[in-house]
Amino acid sequence: MKFQDYYEVLGVPRDASQDDIRKAYRTLARKHHPDVSKTPGTEERFKEVGEAYATLKDAEKRAAYDALGRRKPGEDFAPPPQWQRDFGSQAFNGEDIDLADLMAAMGAARRGAKPGPVRGHDYETSARISLEQAHRGSTLNLDIAQQGATHTLEVTIPAGVVDGQRMRLRGRGGKGRHGGPDGDIYLHIVLAPHPVFRTDGHDLYFDLALAPWEAALGAEIEIATLDGPVVLTVPAGTQAGRKLRLRGRGLATGRGARGDLYAVAHIDVPATLSPRERELFGQLKDISTFNPRITGGQDHQHASPVT
Amino acid sequence: MQAQSLEWIRLDAGENVGLPDLAHACGMSDTELRELMDYGALEGRQGARGEVVFGADQLAPLREAGKLRRAFDLDMFTVALLLDQLRRIDALQRQLRSLQALLPAHAGARSKLSP
Repeated sequence: MKFQDYYEVLGVPRDASQDDIRKAYRTLARKHHPDVSKTPGTEERFKEVGEAYATLKDAEKRAAYDALGRRKPGEDFAPPPQWQRDFGSQAFNGEDIDLADLMAAMGAARRGAKPGPVRGHDYETSARISLEQAHRGSTLNLDIAQQGATHTLEVTIPAGVVDGQRMRLRGRGGKGRHGGPDGDIYLHIVLAPHPVFRTDGHDLYFDLALAPWEAALGAEIEIATLDGPVVLTVPAGTQAGRKLRLRGRGLATGRGARGDLYAVAHIDVPATLSPRERELFGQLKDISTFNPRITGGQDHQHASPVT
Repeated sequence: MQAQSLEWIRLDAGENVGLPDLAHACGMSDTELRELMDYGALEGRQGARGEVVFGADQLAPLREAGKLRRAFDLDMFTVALLLDQLRRIDALQRQLRSLQALLPAHAGARSKLSP
């Protein structure tokens, strides 16, 4: 068995107080946490720090560890004979037993724990799916890392999931031991950006570009929906930013209903004008009394045309 | 390979999770979950047989808080505070998604759906 210098791992002296040990552990755990550090080998270092702390934070385990005396890290040593009596011979079975396993076994032996049913590990994964897949449901292959190997599970994602949805698949995680149930899989759904539609739950939004005359006079415009093209009636006097709703044309909820589809109006003007267009816009300017800076009969004027 | 479709549970407020199930899922004991309830960080409701159940939407933040607790050896009061902040982040992310849906897309990517 290889010796590990847990004090050196945590960077504390052998007479460090529990507070110092906890502080050193938290500092290192924060530095090497896989969510924080992307440096190669950080997960291994995080695990190593955790193993050291698991022993040194526990007074009994620390005393047993200290009794091993000072050794060089990686030095081969034989555990004291009384450990076998204390922890039970089962803890010493197997060839790849290490110090961390023994220390963990010490905790279990102290609690009088017998190898009872152990539930399998849970696995977490995320799936990036298209908006159409969320709407209609889809079959995906989930890669699950299990006991050093990766296996693929083909699953059907039901229609009606939304961006950010979290789901649970019971009994498809790690295998339970000693008669314990298998673990679960937790899935986080992420919707891939769509070239046209944006989502808010089951509602869909898209930008509807209108010409000034379409916004002013109203128009019938063919738009794309998930179910194919439909004609949208744009009312006369549609303002920029106005949302026009098509009820029940959004995403399926998976419970027999649909969200809504919203067209958000934007008014575009021609970047260049033909002479005739310029003439007509000029005529409109001359005869119109409309002032966009006066709204609702109240003068909120903060800018005037320079004549 | 046979596709599995029937066992998915959506972790929404409408689904119930029992105390032992929640405790296992987030790596905490029943007692620790009750401590979170005492701090007001976890709210239960009455199940069909009078037992305490929780909305399944509690599961994700609790699992996250449980992982951080194990990683940094946090006490339960800190976990309670953490849980509030995780829920707040989740609510803000939802709001952000809603607001982003309302924002016009980049002018170059704006849809030109009319014929």
